[in-house]
Amino acid sequence: MEEKKTLNSELPAQAAGEFVPSQSAAAKVPAREDTKNQKNGYWKNQWKGIKKYRKLILFLVPAAAFSLIFSYIPMLGILFAFKGPEFNLAAGDVLFNLTHGSWTFQNFANIFVDPKIGLAIGNTLLINIIRLLLCFPLSIIIAVMLSELKSQTLSKTILIILTIPNFLSWVIVIGIWSGFLDPDTGFLGQALADMGAVNIMADNGWFKPLVVFLSAWKGAGWGCILFYSAIVSIDKTYYESATLEGANRLQKTWYLTIPSILPTIALMLVLNISGMMAVGFEQVYTMMKQNTSLIDSQITLDTYLYEISIVKPSDIPFATSLGVLNGLIALVLMLVGNKITSKTLKRGLW
Amino acid sequence: MNQSKIRNFFRRRRNPNKIRESKLDTALMILNIVLLIVGAILVLFPLLNYFSLAFNDGNFNMDVVIFPVRWSFWSFQYIFSGEGALAFWRSFGNSLFITLVVTIFSNLFEAMAAYPLSKKDFPFRGNILMYFIITMLFSAGIMPIYLLMHQFKLLNNIWSVILISISNVTHLLYFKTFFEGIPTDIEEAAKLDGAGELQLFFRIVIPMSLPIIGSCCFFTIVGTWNGYGSALLFIPESQTGEANMPLAYYIYYFIGKTEIGDKNNAILAANRKNIEAAMMLLSTIPILCMYPYVVRYIKGGLQLGSVKG
Repeated sequence: MEEKKTLNSELPAQAAGEFVPSQSAAAKVPAREDTKNQKNGYWKNQWKGIKKYRKLILFLVPAAAFSLIFSYIPMLGILFAFKGPEFNLAAGDVLFNLTHGSWTFQNFANIFVDPKIGLAIGNTLLINIIRLLLCFPLSIIIAVMLSELKSQTLSKTILIILTIPNFLSWVIVIGIWSGFLDPDTGFLGQALADMGAVNIMADNGWFKPLVVFLSAWKGAGWGCILFYSAIVSIDKTYYESATLEGANRLQKTWYLTIPSILPTIALMLVLNISGMMAVGFEQVYTMMKQNTSLIDSQITLDTYLYEISIVKPSDIPFATSLGVLNGLIALVLMLVGNKITSKTLKRGLW
Repeated sequence: MNQSKIRNFFRRRRNPNKIRESKLDTALMILNIVLLIVGAILVLFPLLNYFSLAFNDGNFNMDVVIFPVRWSFWSFQYIFSGEGALAFWRSFGNSLFITLVVTIFSNLFEAMAAYPLSKKDFPFRGNILMYFIITMLFSAGIMPIYLLMHQFKLLNNIWSVILISISNVTHLLYFKTFFEGIPTDIEEAAKLDGAGELQLFFRIVIPMSLPIIGSCCFFTIVGTWNGYGSALLFIPESQTGEANMPLAYYIYYFIGKTEIGDKNNAILAANRKNIEAAMMLLSTIPILCMYPYVVRYIKGGLQLGSVKG
C-alpha cells in the first residue's frame, strides 16, 4: 500500500511539470491492425520483432524483475486473506503458513463487522472531501493570482517561495508547525494561548482541519505549478481582444482563463478522486503520534491498516483482506477515472 | 492624486495607448499582490520562527520571532560531538546511501526498460507496458509486502527500503515518452557506424535525454530523502531499529522518544526543542543543495526537460 500510495500521490505533482501525452491508445493497439487479415500474421510479426530486437529484450529484464518480485509476488499475498485465524509467524515461515491450515472467506465478512472500520473509512473520506473542496481550488486560485501579476520576477519569486514546503519531509513540516503552535515557545501558539485557545496541535476537534491545512501548506505551491504553466501558455492575443471588448479582470479570469485550463483542471480532479482511499499515511500517522488520544478517534484507513499489520499484528489474514479490499476499491476508482478522462479529454490517466 | 500614482505604478510597462483600467481592476490588483505576499509570509514565517530555535538558547525560546534572540550553538555541538552524534550521523549516512542507490538504479533500470518500449514495432509492446502499468494500479496492501520482506529476512535492514523503492513505473512512462521523441535517423546513423545496442543506448540515447533523466533523478532524490513511509513498515520504531533508520525516520523517532541521554542533564532538557530544530535544519541541507535546480526550472519556463504536452 505504501508504495502505491506514494506513487499515486506523486503523480499530480510530477505531472505538474511534465506533460506526458497519453500512451494508452498506442499501448492498447500494437501492430495488430495492420495484420488483421492475415492469419498468424500477428505472431509472425512479433517473431520478426523478437529477432530484430533480441538484444534489447535484455534491457527489460531488471525493471521487469523488480516489478515481478516486489509487485506481482506480493499480489499473490491475496491468498493470505483467505487463510484461517491460525496463521502465525511464530509457528513457521510464510510458506509454511500458506500450505498449512484452513481456508476461509470469514476475513472479508469480518471487515463489515469490525468496530473501527466505519470510523476509519468515514475519517478517510471526510478528510479527502474537505481537501478536494479546499486545497484543490486553492492551487488553481494561486495559479490564477500569480499569472495576473504583471511582473514576471515577482510572480516567479513568490512561486519559488510557495514551493519550499513541498521539499520538506512530513516530519519536518509537522515539527515546524508544532513548534510554531506550541503554547509555551511557539510564536502563534503563545498568542493563541493568551487568548485562551486550546493547543491546536493536540486537540481532537482541530485534527482534521489541521490535516487539511498542512496538506495545503505543503502542497498548494507545488500543485499550482501545473495550472500556472497552463495559464502562461494561453495565447495572449485572446486577452488583448477581451480588453478591447471592455472586459475587466474578473471577467477575463472567469470567461477566458478558467475555460482555457478546464482540461487540466478536469484531469487533476479525476486524479484526486481516484486517490480518494488514501490520505497520506506519513502525514496522518506522524500527526497522530503527537498525542496518543488522537489515535483512537482519528484513525484513517491507512493508519488503521498500519496499526493492525505492523504495530500489533495479531490477525494477519484479516489485515491482508482489509488491504486487498482497499486496493480493489482504489483500482476501481482509477479505472473509472481513466475511462472518464479518455472519453471526455481524449487522454488516459497514465 | 495618490490613486493615479498607484495606477501608474502598475501600468508603467504597458502600452500607453491601451484602454485605461477601471478602479475595480486596480483594487483587485492590489488585493491580489497583498494576498500573495501574505501567502509567502505564511510560508516563510513558521519556517524562520522554527529554524531560529536551532541557533537559540533553549531558555529563551519563547522570545524568538524570526531570528534567534540569544545565540547558542549548543544544539549543533550536541549533534556534532555530543552523545547524539553517532545516531544522527549514522542515519544521515543511511539516508545518503539509500538515496544514492535508489536514484541510480531506479532511473537506470526504468530508462533501460523504457528504451525498447519506445520502439513502435517492439514485440508485445502493449502487453509489456500493461505488465508495468498494472503494478501502478493495484497493490494487495502492506501486509503481503511486509511478509515478503519477512521471508527474505530483510526486516530491520536498509536494503528493504532500497529494494521496494526501485520500481517506479511513472518514471518509466516519462522516459518512454521522451525516447519516442528522439529522431530515429540518429540511431540509424550510429548503427551504420557499427554501434551495438548497448553502445547506442549509453552513448547516444542517454546523453540526448539528460533533461528528462535530470528531472526524474531530482524527483527520486527528493522523494527518497524525505520519505519514511516504507521505513515505517520494515524498520521497527525502537532501539533495535535505530541503526537502520533513514534520517527522516530517525528524526520522527527522536521526537517521539520520551528520554534522551542523561536524565539529570539540565542543558539537554532545556534544549530539547532546539536540538530537534537543529536536526531538521541539517536534514534539509541536501534538499537545499537541489533548490537551485527548482529555481532554474521555475524561471526557465516550467518545462522539465523538453517534455511538452
